[in-house]
Amino acid sequence: MRRIGTWIAVGGLLLSVAACGGGSGGSGDGGTGGTGGAGGKAGALSVGFVAEPANLDFTSTEGAAIPQALLVNVYEGLVKLDQAGQIQPLLAEKWDVSDDRKTYTFTLRKGVTFTNGAPFTADDVVFSLDRVRSDWKLKIKSQLDMVEDVEKKDDATAVVTLSRPSNGFLYTMATRLGAMFSRTGVADLANKPVGTGPYQLGAWRRGDSIRLDANPKYWGAKPQISTVTLKYFKDATAMNNALLTGGIDVVSSVQAPESLQQFADTNRFQTIEGTTNGEVVLSMNNGRPPFDDKKVRQAVRHAIDHQALLDTAWAGRGQLIGSMAPPTDPWYEDRTGDYPHDVAKAKALLGGKTYDVKMRIPNLPYAVASAQVVKSQLAQVGINAEIEPLEFPARWLDVVFTKGDYDLSIINHVEPRDMGIFADKDYYFRYDNPEYGKLLASADTGTEQQQTDDLKAAAALLSQDAAADWLFLFPNLIVAKKGVTGLPENAISESFDFTGLAKQ
Amino acid sequence: MRGRLNASLVTGGVLVGIVVLAALVSFVWTPHDPTLVDAAGKLREPGDGYLLGADKFGRDTFSQLMVGARTTLYVGIVAVGIAAAIGVPLGVIAGMTPLGWLSELIMRVNDLVFAFPALLLAVMLGAVYGAGTLTAMIAIGVATVPAFARVARAATLQVMVTDYILAARAAGRRRAAVAFRHVLPNISSVLIVQASVSFAIAILAEAALSFLGFGTRPPTPSWGRMLQESQELLFSTPRLALWPGLAIALAVLGFNLLGDGLRDYLDPKLRRIRAER
Repeated sequence: MRRIGTWIAVGGLLLSVAACGGGSGGSGDGGTGGTGGAGGKAGALSVGFVAEPANLDFTSTEGAAIPQALLVNVYEGLVKLDQAGQIQPLLAEKWDVSDDRKTYTFTLRKGVTFTNGAPFTADDVVFSLDRVRSDWKLKIKSQLDMVEDVEKKDDATAVVTLSRPSNGFLYTMATRLGAMFSRTGVADLANKPVGTGPYQLGAWRRGDSIRLDANPKYWGAKPQISTVTLKYFKDATAMNNALLTGGIDVVSSVQAPESLQQFADTNRFQTIEGTTNGEVVLSMNNGRPPFDDKKVRQAVRHAIDHQALLDTAWAGRGQLIGSMAPPTDPWYEDRTGDYPHDVAKAKALLGGKTYDVKMRIPNLPYAVASAQVVKSQLAQVGINAEIEPLEFPARWLDVVFTKGDYDLSIINHVEPRDMGIFADKDYYFRYDNPEYGKLLASADTGTEQQQTDDLKAAAALLSQDAAADWLFLFPNLIVAKKGVTGLPENAISESFDFTGLAKQ
Repeated sequence: MRGRLNASLVTGGVLVGIVVLAALVSFVWTPHDPTLVDAAGKLREPGDGYLLGADKFGRDTFSQLMVGARTTLYVGIVAVGIAAAIGVPLGVIAGMTPLGWLSELIMRVNDLVFAFPALLLAVMLGAVYGAGTLTAMIAIGVATVPAFARVARAATLQVMVTDYILAARAAGRRRAAVAFRHVLPNISSVLIVQASVSFAIAILAEAALSFLGFGTRPPTPSWGRMLQESQELLFSTPRLALWPGLAIALAVLGFNLLGDGLRDYLDPKLRRIRAER
């Protein structure tokens, strides 16, 4: 008995030591066990990610992890975004726009085949775009609602007719919505993606990693790295340790910014810091009390000291934005001045009332860290927010995103140019302001100048309505081994583009 | 009729006493608000009213440890309470019943539960009903039931062959009366020891669960979560991991020593053997 007791006490010490070791267990499974891990053949690279996709079908499953892994790498669209956010040709060699801006004629690249052997033709363009309307289940599919008709003129020419001129159309075609699918390759999208990209799915070890192998029949320049392994970690420390111990070559997104100094040794590591499209939004359920009351929402915005939040929760990395437009979009305006930190004003807006609300957040590091700051700051104005971390993605998507059963939540909205989500009153914000919808519609159909003006006005309206609160813009923080090149400084598209990676 | 105080008992008692005292005092006073985020005090060094410094949110470590003790005891008491409330009656029934199959049934089901790791059960419950202190307590409690049932049954079997039980039964006492009047009081010392050991295990389990994000919800301080939050700062501010780690180790050690000491103290036979040596 005595001996058992002692062992338990030792167990207690071990637990604390395990934490001191920084989750050394995690580094073990991030180490040599991984397929195609670092230190293998020269053309292999492994990249650490958090939040593994639930399946590989981004036509039916929400979430950023799937296009992050597959878009541009496995699936290609007619066009793609470059690092500057400009639209570049991909599967379309060129396109002509009619004078009324309603007809797009795409001239397709010849000699492109899907990884199942089928040739890529205009039929696939028709098939893929029709499929968005008929089969896709994502809320963002409404971004292609302006597509009226898609026709094949000949094998190498596809004509898209829009119901109205749209500034967003080509841009949307560079997102997952524009991905090209094979007519004979959509039977099992969840497990067997078939695209035209430079990589194809090699193996998927659920809960561990996805291996992408170079597509030997790729139409364009072959990527330098022939095998990319995406390793998924539940835990930021485990991911960091995997890089420290050589289990992976790249941490795709630093989830523990305080830990960056571990990688200060520039002889071994490089740190890349840029911006993203990811607005970390403090979502408020506009559809039910108490946040259906604009004054309460405004009080929340005044109650939060954003700089303090960024400094404590995310080590000061990132940028304060104040509305739904990131600085890389042409219509960005700094809206942080709309609701300066002002506890007295927040209290006045609440009129002395107190509220008990549920803050249902994904169990992701930035959300858990931010939530604790938000809770503390809201408590000072009389809003008691109970934090409830939900497993991400499945549970959070179900409870908060799909059912809208929440008062407050915190999530990083990573989709590019995603101001449209606030125009959908069924979106989980439940924000309903027809004025906002009008601005977005006129921005899309108008000239470029009109688009910029309208979206500026729309972002201002969102901010003034306090449709949500924008905590900060998520930084693009990448740490990689020295010698890995071609890493994107700014993460402004939906995908993590592996095609330019190289290793010296 | 009781034994002398021994070193284990005293040391264990003092360690447990400190934890209990910290928890009790935290209800009325902590040096600072343990959940108040203070950007200006981020990673504050120890001193100046902050005995052990502050974490990356500017929250006072000492205050968090005090309230964390509360969480720890709370989980321990409820979990051990659940385990004892279910396990002891089962064990006593299994030990007293004349029906062999019933005893077998209880103990085999017991073995089944015993084979199931407490942490796994807690993670499962957390996934289904939402992570939180309550689910953690229930899971740890249920997983500890077999330990109590086994110990209770073994002790009951020993007691059942004694002369006084025989006398009680010969006098026509009903089974329930025998159980309450004679069996329970005579196995209580074994159960107390089991409780303190289980308490130690429960503390560890709670810490592990909170560390994994399946225990106490943020921002309620918990030693396990303090460890988890200190992870990313391990290289720059190791003290943030040191204090909660130390607290867990000492609390667990305390309850174990207390268990050991109580056993020696309550068990006259063992004491006699020692005395004869």
